[in-house]
Amino acid sequence: MHAKPLRHWLTIAAVAISLSPLAQAADYVGGDEITVLQGFKPGGGSDALAQLVQPRLSEILGVDFVNEYMPGATGAVAWTRLAKQSPNDGSTISITNTPMLMTNYIMNDAITYKTDEMTPIANVVTDPGIVVVSADSPYQTIEDLFAAAEQSPGTVTIGNSGVGGDDFFTTILLEQAKGLSFKKVPFQGDGPSATAAMGGKIDASFNNVGNVYGQVESGNLRALAVFAEKRLTSLPDVPTMKEKGVDVVAGSSRGYSAPADIPAEARQQLIEAFQTLAKDPDFQAQAEKRAMNLDVVTGDDYRAMIDKMESDYREIWDSVKDQVGR
Amino acid sequence: MDSSLVMIGLTNVISVNNIACILGGTLLGLFVGAMPGLSATMALALLLPLTFSFDPATGLSMLASLYVGASYGGSIAAILLRTPGTPSAAATVLDGFPLSQQGKAGQALGISLFASFFGGLMSGIALLTAAPLLGTLVLEFGPVELFAIAVLGITIIGSLAQGSVISGLLSGGLGLLLSTVGMDLTTGTPRMTFGQINLFAGIDFTVALIGLFSVPQALTLIENSHRGGKVASRITDRLMPRWRTIKQLMPNILRSSGIGIVVGLIPGTGGDTASWFAYNEAKRFARDKSRFGKGEIAGVAAPEAANNAVVGGALIPTIALGIPGSSSTAILLGALMVQGILPGPNLLTDYGDVTYTLIWAVILANIALLVVGLAFTKMSVSVTRIPDGFIACAILTLCIIGAFAINNSLFDVGLMLGFGLFGYWMSKAGVSPAPMVIGLILGPVMETSFQQSMLIGNDSFGVFLESPIATVLLILALLSILQATPFFRWLRVPFKRRLKPD
Repeated sequence: MHAKPLRHWLTIAAVAISLSPLAQAADYVGGDEITVLQGFKPGGGSDALAQLVQPRLSEILGVDFVNEYMPGATGAVAWTRLAKQSPNDGSTISITNTPMLMTNYIMNDAITYKTDEMTPIANVVTDPGIVVVSADSPYQTIEDLFAAAEQSPGTVTIGNSGVGGDDFFTTILLEQAKGLSFKKVPFQGDGPSATAAMGGKIDASFNNVGNVYGQVESGNLRALAVFAEKRLTSLPDVPTMKEKGVDVVAGSSRGYSAPADIPAEARQQLIEAFQTLAKDPDFQAQAEKRAMNLDVVTGDDYRAMIDKMESDYREIWDSVKDQVGR
Repeated sequence: MDSSLVMIGLTNVISVNNIACILGGTLLGLFVGAMPGLSATMALALLLPLTFSFDPATGLSMLASLYVGASYGGSIAAILLRTPGTPSAAATVLDGFPLSQQGKAGQALGISLFASFFGGLMSGIALLTAAPLLGTLVLEFGPVELFAIAVLGITIIGSLAQGSVISGLLSGGLGLLLSTVGMDLTTGTPRMTFGQINLFAGIDFTVALIGLFSVPQALTLIENSHRGGKVASRITDRLMPRWRTIKQLMPNILRSSGIGIVVGLIPGTGGDTASWFAYNEAKRFARDKSRFGKGEIAGVAAPEAANNAVVGGALIPTIALGIPGSSSTAILLGALMVQGILPGPNLLTDYGDVTYTLIWAVILANIALLVVGLAFTKMSVSVTRIPDGFIACAILTLCIIGAFAINNSLFDVGLMLGFGLFGYWMSKAGVSPAPMVIGLILGPVMETSFQQSMLIGNDSFGVFLESPIATVLLILALLSILQATPFFRWLRVPFKRRLKPD
């Protein structure tokens, strides 16, 4: 009675393995296998990106990708490993989430890696920031929310995904730009923050489009504004903060980085692979289906993006660190 | 509810491929659950990448049945070896192992299997019929309400302190204290981490649980291995419980399943919490409380019905709203996302075919559990014929693998061994590790939700009285504390006198 299901299971496993892309001729200088360190648990946002990107990248480069999940300290365990203990021959890379990548060590001295100990390869997606309220919230527009905060400073409750996350900093940027003061309520991730807004437990949640898109579409949440350069094609009726006179563009980005000083040829091959990937129409269509906002920035430009973020966020943190925690 | 989608789901599930996946998933779940150190969440995480190449319905069926299987499997090791196979089977140890020592391991395992089956089936039916209705209930539970639940849960420590209340409170307090290790939610400040970044995310309570329960048991087995004359090495009693026993346990099973469904619903609490709640309530409602902890079958049925009912309960908000009710369902939701299905309230409508397949898979997995479980349990009982010394080594090996697999971190292995030595000392000193585990589970929930509540309520404790749910739960907590003190006995004294006029 045991043999049958077990045999079926083995057959399925065997089929699954045989279906996975076989290694092609190894022309990548970093070897025929690339280990991807993931700083978060399987099934999270980083993993979703990995499952979308890596099978295609695997065909382009002719290598196999092996995911190694090492969650802990909001990604810092994996990124410390990348910067300090990984071979710099191009055989190990990591999914790097910004701004968390830098806010981790800006805020905590005990986290010792730095972004200059890494070789940024390519940013792939940027999930723009968004302001959402519950469907029955009295705030119909972003101006209503501003007015409420102006009337009674420090009482309008704004959920974020945690101290140090992008939403936390976006709230501070908005406060500084508008001279407002909100009550910032941290949650353990974007999901709980959105759920609290949905239940009317907090006045608004500063979140990311990809996390709340389904809830906004179905009417459980109302989007008041997005922190993007232009209106999003997926949410054409939602104004940008720029339109409202607030020059804040922010979001959470995910890309790939390698340890410092990897062979120039390996770096170039990886960068070119991402550039090829970005042009793939099937990849673009799949990303859109998953509400992933593609923002492919490669090589030196990704380095510049990371450096700018580092100095920006260091400045914000220095200006507010004494108030946090009251 | 769209009945055509329900039928599509059913017909999707009843294919050779999917049934094979469900049977395979259940068996794998039983195996993983039975191994101390490997938990359902971990097995889901490990299996997840394999299902990426499957069709969504097949992959989900397999993951769901694995979840169901593991929820029961944990009790096998808990009963036979005093080492909970999964965190949610920790409460089963209290009465399951004494039963096994009395030579009634078969009875305990049978009760556990049937309670799991009924709990799982009830939650599956709740999932099929009332998901949209119950799903909206989740939104009522914000930080304020979650804090009240955590407080109510902490009061269980009082009633679990077997023997000495002082040592029980010490153990519980220590658990709460250890749960504060890690980054402070509102300030981002690392507390008691000694600059060790592996501690930033706090102490994973699964790591602590493996150490506290399994390592001391392995050491005790080694200690006694040369003595010979093993007790309870043969199962002489029957596995299938008598109909009379099941009927007698039914109110308990129904109550525990209800607790499991509700606790599963609420994001932030799962099987580990539900089993303790159910155990505590079974004890509260029992006529003879003194038998608990010494081999009471009701003490096995309650946590096992509850932790399997959590599966359906936790899936309710997941499919109704796209909000995961537990860490395991968060992985299932991740599986949907990777398959290109965006989680949201449209899971029951736009992706109804996949979602109803998942629901039917949960129900069928419970039936598969009964069939596969009977055979698997009979087989696993043979573990007791292996000499203690070998078992001890196997337990230790599994502990190390399990602790490592949680975060792929060697640091966690060291932490687990540290907890193991401490747990060994505790068992020698007669201090129960159960309150400590509750402290570790509920401590972070309580602290986080308290800080959030204070922010939302502008630093006023009044915020807890403004929410009717929180108020009721906090009153229940107060009553629960008073019940553990002589207070009620004093109240009853005058009435008792009147009843006895002579």
